[in-house]
Amino acid sequence: MELIVQVCVSGLLLGGIYALISIGLNLIFGVVRIINFAHGEMVMVAMYLTFWLNYFFGMDPYVATIIVLPVMFLFGVLIQRVIVQPIQSSSANMKIFATVALSLILQNVALIVCKGNFRTVQVPYGMSTFELAGIFISVPRLVAFFAALGSITLLYYFLKYSYTGKALRAIVEDHTIARLMGVKVQRLYLLAFGIGCAFSALGGVLLMPFSSVYPTVGIPFTLIAFIVVVLGGLGSMGGTFLAGLFIGVVEAVGGTYVSPALKEAIYFGIFIIAILIRPQGIFGKGKGSEEVGLK
Amino acid sequence: MRTNKIIVAAAILALGLLAVPLYFTSTFILHMFTLVFFYIALTAAWNIPAFGGKFSLGHAAFFGLGAYAASILYVKYGISPLIGIFAGTVCAMLGGVILSFPLIRLKGPFFTLASIAFAEVLRMVAIDWRSMTNGSVGLNIPFKPGWLNLTFTSGMPFYYIALGLAVLVILLAWWIRSSALGYHLRAAAADEDAAKALGINTAKSHFFALMWSSGLTGMIAVFYVFYNYVLEPGTAFSMDLFSLQPAMNGIIGGMGTVWGPVIGAIIMTPLGEFLRFYLGTIQQGLNFVVYGLMLIAVVNFVPGGIVSLMAPWFKKKKSGESSARDN
Amino acid sequence: MDDLLVVRNLTKNFGGLAAVSEVSFEVRRGEILGLIGPNGAGKTTLFNLISGLLASNQGSIKLEGEDLTKMPPYRRSAMGVGRTFQVVRPFDMTVLENVMVPIFAHYKSAKEAKGKAYEILEMVRLENMADSMPSSLTLAQRKRIEVARALATKPKLLLLDEVLAGLNPSEVAENLPLIRQVRDSGVTILFIEHLMDAMMAISERVLVMDQGALIACGTPDEVTSDQCVITAYLGEEAPEC
Repeated sequence: MELIVQVCVSGLLLGGIYALISIGLNLIFGVVRIINFAHGEMVMVAMYLTFWLNYFFGMDPYVATIIVLPVMFLFGVLIQRVIVQPIQSSSANMKIFATVALSLILQNVALIVCKGNFRTVQVPYGMSTFELAGIFISVPRLVAFFAALGSITLLYYFLKYSYTGKALRAIVEDHTIARLMGVKVQRLYLLAFGIGCAFSALGGVLLMPFSSVYPTVGIPFTLIAFIVVVLGGLGSMGGTFLAGLFIGVVEAVGGTYVSPALKEAIYFGIFIIAILIRPQGIFGKGKGSEEVGLK
Repeated sequence: MRTNKIIVAAAILALGLLAVPLYFTSTFILHMFTLVFFYIALTAAWNIPAFGGKFSLGHAAFFGLGAYAASILYVKYGISPLIGIFAGTVCAMLGGVILSFPLIRLKGPFFTLASIAFAEVLRMVAIDWRSMTNGSVGLNIPFKPGWLNLTFTSGMPFYYIALGLAVLVILLAWWIRSSALGYHLRAAAADEDAAKALGINTAKSHFFALMWSSGLTGMIAVFYVFYNYVLEPGTAFSMDLFSLQPAMNGIIGGMGTVWGPVIGAIIMTPLGEFLRFYLGTIQQGLNFVVYGLMLIAVVNFVPGGIVSLMAPWFKKKKSGESSARDN
Repeated sequence: MDDLLVVRNLTKNFGGLAAVSEVSFEVRRGEILGLIGPNGAGKTTLFNLISGLLASNQGSIKLEGEDLTKMPPYRRSAMGVGRTFQVVRPFDMTVLENVMVPIFAHYKSAKEAKGKAYEILEMVRLENMADSMPSSLTLAQRKRIEVARALATKPKLLLLDEVLAGLNPSEVAENLPLIRQVRDSGVTILFIEHLMDAMMAISERVLVMDQGALIACGTPDEVTSDQCVITAYLGEEAPEC
């Protein structure tokens, strides 16, 4: 009994990070209407940046956020401007090809530059835990969870109350509006890609104290993020957050009780079931989603 | 007149290809040709669902299913790979049946994602199911030369087998594309709703395309494994080798056309080998950086693939063919 | 006169908004029935419901007494419902091949399909364009490909969605007789059109939709003098209709 609670708690905490990464994808997906196959690679790049900042300058991963997030924001803006914008009006397949290409390039540049080794950040609190009602809670995972919750709440209020946020939300809900915005919409796309990238990057940074980075670390994140967005619904912050937690718990429970090797198989299974049952997302509106082939 | 020229050219090409092993005894050259033929076949098989606009990044699933089916039968039960060819084809098609559920429900990108997930799941099953697959160690095909064992002392038989496979799959692809199924797929690719309203059961068309594609991929995989002697989950279900590579060949050559995959495989296979073996010793992964850049260039500048640059030449050839049929 | 198509209480909601609400009407065999209404009235949605591209929330559709309501689009096509689309998007193949696509449902041999396709192209006067790519044709000609493709499914009922929109007057004059000619060949026609003159000239009866509901039905003369229709078009507050 205690084990299951323990497993669920660590799954929930990890789920916070999944939610963070998925919120980034949700924003990009919803606003720019592109299926970004390189999404996991953004997490990977952020993880490497964090590692290097620690390796060369001894910077604490949490402090590294100050540098990594703005850099990754600009990285996202750059991707949108250089890779996505030129093919904005091409078919959905062309956009997939472009982001698959980007993911290949990033993975293999990482392989060339950093070799295939697993890299970790050594921090004193990396393995530290505390006990609460008989349950061990990992400190960096708890930090990650609350940081995820906090930043998602911030994004929620930004989208709900700021003028720019409202404009972004309007595009997510009805993409035909985007056509009426003219030049301005390009700036909103850049912004959405930047923010989305920065959120995924935050997920990557928060992972570093307790996990390692290698060139293909991002592949599962791309799939996880898509599962979470499909379950949570396009444009739904709350839905995405809950779905992220759900996938975290499923992975932890499956990994413990079925087989650690098959835990990934389990959420891939969920992914296939999820897109079969509700391609438009359980809480989502899914309006105009046929543009990305999500019909 | 034109048609005659084409027949002559095709005959010269065929004789030339048949004669290659007699004049080039270098194992390297023979291997390179064989590999190109295998990839032409794999890419042309990958391309069949692409007639209908469906684009898979998970064909390693079918490859692995076919490869494992035949190898397990041979290594564990001593059943000849000649029977394994059928087993491999059928197993891969069963995989196709499973993947067809998301295929029929999902348009474009989500089918692509589902296909990646499917191949990954199978790879993990192959690692985990040790009693059958020997886990990540993999299976070794014992070296017992003979036709029954599909094992040969020289590279020559496999040269001809691979050439035969390439020709077979190209002909099948050409036949499918010009049959009712092909027209229905092309209509569905252009406008799914219009195709449905015109009385086409598009789900059925996509399903049959996937059946052809998965079955052929499984069949090619059986030969490929016996050409290479070993198989382990990382190779048989390799995203790089059997999901991305055929997709890359197809897209760069020209997705959804008959000749695109051929041109793509002819260009990309030697390029890939060159980058892997010559530059790869210096920098592992460089080949995929180059592929990525090529892919971005294709998407931006030649969305129809290399074959679209050759369109004028092909169009002439095509009208020649059709006038030959009418006569 | 018997009824070919009977639609009863057909309703389609998009997230609480009724795009088509409780629509009932009949199409008589052999007639040309017009469907008009302001933008967003639900005309194309109604076509999508009849051809099966959208599933209805409630109501029934019957063709010659057979219930189509639950059938997938391709079966409805086989039953005899053909349609064209407002935005013409010919398949990326020659004009002849475009018309061959639906014929392949009946004839498996390419040669037979080709012969049948030629016959239909002659009917819409595109036989000289058979080997051209649709992109090299004028809009009026591409609209005729749409009609040819729909005719190739051998429909009993043909739904035409704005086949005249965007054409200049001489092109309208060229395409308009085609509609009548198709009807005379034994196909019943239900068509959406914004060009009032053309609509009134060839339809025997007219249906009027506004905000998802059917607000009037009658001969062109009856409909144009109907107070509800006038208010719907002029956008004034509607009196009790």
